[in-house]
Amino acid sequence: MRNPSALAKEFRKYGKAASCPIIDMHGHFGPYQGIYFPADTAEAMMRIMDRAGVRMIVCSSHTALVDTRRGNPEMAEVVAKYPDRFRAYWALNPNYPDRMKEEIEAYPEQKGFVGFKFLSDYHKVAITDDRYGPALEFAQEHRMMILMHTWGNSPYDGPALIEEVAKRYPEVTILMGHSGYGEWDRAIGVARDYPKVYLELTAAYHANGVIEEMVQGAGSHKMLFGTDMPWFTPHYGIGCVLCAAITDEDRHNILHRNAETLLRLRGVNLEEDDG
Amino acid sequence: MEMFDCNVCLGLPCTPSVPPDAYIEKAEDLLDRMAFCGINQALVRHIAMEEESPVVGNQLLIREIASFDRLEPSWAILPPQTGELGTPDELVARMKTDGVRALWAFPSKHHYLLTGTTFGGLFEIMIRRRIPLFVSAKERSNGIEGFAMIEALLRDFPKLVLVATDHGCWGEDRLFRPLIERYEHFYIDTSRYELAGGIRDFCDRYGPHRMLFGTGFPEIPMGGAFLTLLHAEISDQAKAAVFGGNLQRLLREVRL
Repeated sequence: MRNPSALAKEFRKYGKAASCPIIDMHGHFGPYQGIYFPADTAEAMMRIMDRAGVRMIVCSSHTALVDTRRGNPEMAEVVAKYPDRFRAYWALNPNYPDRMKEEIEAYPEQKGFVGFKFLSDYHKVAITDDRYGPALEFAQEHRMMILMHTWGNSPYDGPALIEEVAKRYPEVTILMGHSGYGEWDRAIGVARDYPKVYLELTAAYHANGVIEEMVQGAGSHKMLFGTDMPWFTPHYGIGCVLCAAITDEDRHNILHRNAETLLRLRGVNLEEDDG
Repeated sequence: MEMFDCNVCLGLPCTPSVPPDAYIEKAEDLLDRMAFCGINQALVRHIAMEEESPVVGNQLLIREIASFDRLEPSWAILPPQTGELGTPDELVARMKTDGVRALWAFPSKHHYLLTGTTFGGLFEIMIRRRIPLFVSAKERSNGIEGFAMIEALLRDFPKLVLVATDHGCWGEDRLFRPLIERYEHFYIDTSRYELAGGIRDFCDRYGPHRMLFGTGFPEIPMGGAFLTLLHAEISDQAKAAVFGGNLQRLLREVRL
């Protein structure tokens, strides 16, 4: 292998790198409608995380994407059981405004959650719709982080709509899940122009050349690693990052450093967790 | 371990789906890219075979990779009825001359029915000579697409060696596993098999001999499928089979 990256060599040899404790900022948990998962329990996910040197994953349960009342507590149980490996997003569904209001009010009491999860494309409510207002205002007031599913040219969560939200709520840290898949230039522009908007790489990494464009256009300090696990194995995304024409410093930023910073700001002390 | 990529394309598409710099035009540059990622060998096709015509692209590929042993050529088919690639026997004779041991079908772009009515004669020859046919799971023919199209083909030609490439990453095991169970000459490639724990689960059920290492380069970076297989939870022997042994066996069995 001619790749001069020290990280690439270490990952090739061991499947992981001691200097690169990966943080996966986009995970899920449990079964889901259209896909067979061989590894969707916390224990099976941790086995796969261990093989790839994934230190921690931040998840929303699949159940919560369908039924927040059943799903968010399910995720809380996983975090309580494995606090050194899992953190979670509190999923909200704007199709049920009364329920969403109750869940926003309940959020401060929750342990192990680091922000909200929006899935606008699936819930068929545009991210700019008034129904998201209470959640975004709460997030603005508390300077929260939100993982938003984003997809290119989507009428619900395309990069142009994310830009509107970033303008209206500048204190909210927005993770653009899938980096506005397919509408790369616009997504990169939003991440470049808004200090609290990040490109999250789930699935985006498999579009050859896009990682390089993101590093050039937005900077590796605005990129985060994610896998949708149990959908995708971390080694696939890691392999794409390792063979991209970027530096090892960029790779460290993408694979763990930026996530460490964001999680520390939300009370996750990874050094302490390291024991 | 030999890393033999079954799914690589050379050349510049008319409409790039990823940043244009990701594409590679020359064989030397492709070999450099493979060496960068640690891949030894590749079964290659040329984008002109699909986007222009197999009449042009098949020969263009041979000229481009002629002096590179580590690049194995593959050609595209067209309906024998129009005679563009000659009769099936003439096509096979030219394959022998040019050392081609695998064929691709692109029914969507080439506007034909991938059925026995069109290709029965050629497929019977391919079965007899054990020539593998590669088809992307994104293709469409006769009003059906993906694995429905592939199953229709396998129902009519169960002994055809058929490799489905590029199955989507959003969960297609429920679509292709029944075909793996039913048709013993059916294979899938790993280019989009991103499923967490997928390779191990597949190999536990079906063994490692029905899966071929592929990257889907240049649309997809080589590193993803490579690292996934390199550290899959399967034995080294199973890895060697998927990484190259299976494809080498398929090509060795071809009788031209």
